Amino acid sequence: MSPVLELVAVSKEYPGTPPIRALDDVSLAVDAGELIAIVGPSGSGKSTLMNVIGTLDRPSSGQVLIEGNRLSTLTDTGLAGLRSARIGFVFQQFHLMEGSSALDNVATGLVYKGVRRQLRLQMAAEALSRVGLGHRLDQKPPKMSGGERQRVAIARAIVGDPAIVLADEPTGNLDSHTSTEIISLMQRLNDEGSTIIVITHDRDLADGLPRQVAMRDGAIVADTADVSIETVAARPLVGVGSSNDMTKRTNREGGKQA
Amino acid sequence: MSADKDSPVVKNAPLRWRSKIRPSDAIRNGTHGLRSRKGRTFLTAIGIAIGIASMVAVLGISASSKADLIAQIDRLGTNLLKVEPGSDIFGDSAALPKASPAMVRRIGPVESAASVSKLGTSVQRNEFLKDDNGIAVLATEPQLIDTIEGSLSHGRFLDQETSSLPVVVLGSVAAERLGFNSLDSTPTVKIAGVTFAVIGILDQSELNPDLDRAVFIGNDAAGKYLGAKVVPTGIYLRANPDHVETVRSVLPQTVNPADPNEVKVSRPSDALEARAEVDKNLQNLLLGLGGVSLIVGGVGIANVMVISVLERRGEIGLRRALGATRRHIAGQFVVESASLSLLGGVIGVALGTAVTYFYAHRQGWIVAVPLAGLAAGVAIALVLGAIAGLYPSVRAARLDPAEAVRPS
Repeated sequence: MSPVLELVAVSKEYPGTPPIRALDDVSLAVDAGELIAIVGPSGSGKSTLMNVIGTLDRPSSGQVLIEGNRLSTLTDTGLAGLRSARIGFVFQQFHLMEGSSALDNVATGLVYKGVRRQLRLQMAAEALSRVGLGHRLDQKPPKMSGGERQRVAIARAIVGDPAIVLADEPTGNLDSHTSTEIISLMQRLNDEGSTIIVITHDRDLADGLPRQVAMRDGAIVADTADVSIETVAARPLVGVGSSNDMTKRTNREGGKQA
Repeated sequence: MSADKDSPVVKNAPLRWRSKIRPSDAIRNGTHGLRSRKGRTFLTAIGIAIGIASMVAVLGISASSKADLIAQIDRLGTNLLKVEPGSDIFGDSAALPKASPAMVRRIGPVESAASVSKLGTSVQRNEFLKDDNGIAVLATEPQLIDTIEGSLSHGRFLDQETSSLPVVVLGSVAAERLGFNSLDSTPTVKIAGVTFAVIGILDQSELNPDLDRAVFIGNDAAGKYLGAKVVPTGIYLRANPDHVETVRSVLPQTVNPADPNEVKVSRPSDALEARAEVDKNLQNLLLGLGGVSLIVGGVGIANVMVISVLERRGEIGLRRALGATRRHIAGQFVVESASLSLLGGVIGVALGTAVTYFYAHRQGWIVAVPLAGLAAGVAIALVLGAIAGLYPSVRAARLDPAEAVRPS
């Protein structure tokens, strides 16, 4: 059983004089069913990390593995295929299409998987009811509150049942009350089996999540799972992370062995 | 989670997942931007619409004009031939032999023939006027009216009896110049001082405008009252439509066996056919102008698409994150640009057809809108739009997805 996400000595440099080292030898393993916060101040490299994990950007060195697949072996088109099937994104600024209904917005999450429209809309409706918006399917984003918009974006991320949900500052544009709601929604989805990685600068938010990885200056400075990459590689197949891992896996059926 | 059961997501996925989009979704994506920016879509499409409309109108109007001429030619027939004396080797006008009308009638496929003989005299309304008004006095045979398929607005043409009487039939222009528009007052004219009674006025002859400017008297009357020697200066003949060329080729030999080179044979309908071709240059010029406005329209579309790509950075980033390949993004913008232009093309074709209809209708022409032209208009717009979309779409596809999803 390999982790759903594994980073091995990942570095990312941006050209310049001197070159900017946004990620510095980052190693990290995330198991299926985890809910983890990557936390750090701005400039700590967490956005770069999110892009690298989300396969939107490639590391300068090191390896990224998703479900055991080395991303370095995939072409740009191959990465797009991987994103279409295995990664769901939630953005701080929602990125919703203003002129389309909530239902259509969520259904867009399946367009590049080639799912036919009828089935797309059906799956989108189910995803929306999972995030508590089953009654607002035809509403357009401009008529929705920030919290509702972010729920739509979350529904879009989970509608294709990805291996990883990546949420980049999901509460960055929300008030604290709504933020709490969004976080508890994430926790509920995690209980239902989703693997979720939340990138945030908000220490308090991160503290509410089961595992926190703290970053500073492009490097991991703390990980509450507290295992170095060497011990991850050596650890037993079962038993990392929180105690209800096994039930989650049964729920999420077996897309995890590669 | 019943969604999972229905989901076509491949579980235990193979090493590679492929992004794919259904053609219907590619079109839906490509037109989404247009549907959500209706005002801009319409204004941008107008450029193309004007170009296409002007091209369709040029084609339509010239086709209508041509159709009208062709209908006219069909109605008048192309089997009317005219024989005239050519020039002899000294450049002087030769005459036709006196017997030539009879010879022409003997040619098998000739259905009818009539000679005209220009008399060296003029016609006036009364003896006090001297001006000849540019009107020719022609001695002719009664068959002329049937041969040229002429008709009369008033009275009747010459016949066997009236051919030897001092009577005259006026061509339409001649009647106008002499000041007659009816026969109510039993008008008369003076030809070389002799009074001739007007018994008929011809309608305008579309194929033979020279006959409109003539007055006709009988061959016998010409000799009897004017003392003129009747020498044929022209023969009109109708040939069997299937043998026009054959008849045409034997005419010089028949008319003047001694000097066939001094016989000129023409076909009056050729002039009309030439007119149907004559506006080709103007048409090409106008089509060129339409083409220029099309190019301007295309550049306009490219411009708007470039702006659109800049504005929709976030959407492009999102789509990349959702699994769109660079090709999918490029395709979306090419489809958008082509649809935009196609819209312009459809509006343009409708506009051009309307202009053609209006103009042709006002001219009293048959409305002939070339369907091939309409199809070409739409196709040109589509191709032009796709080309205009190439550069913007490549820019969209090249956007770095990590960059594009970042808050701007």
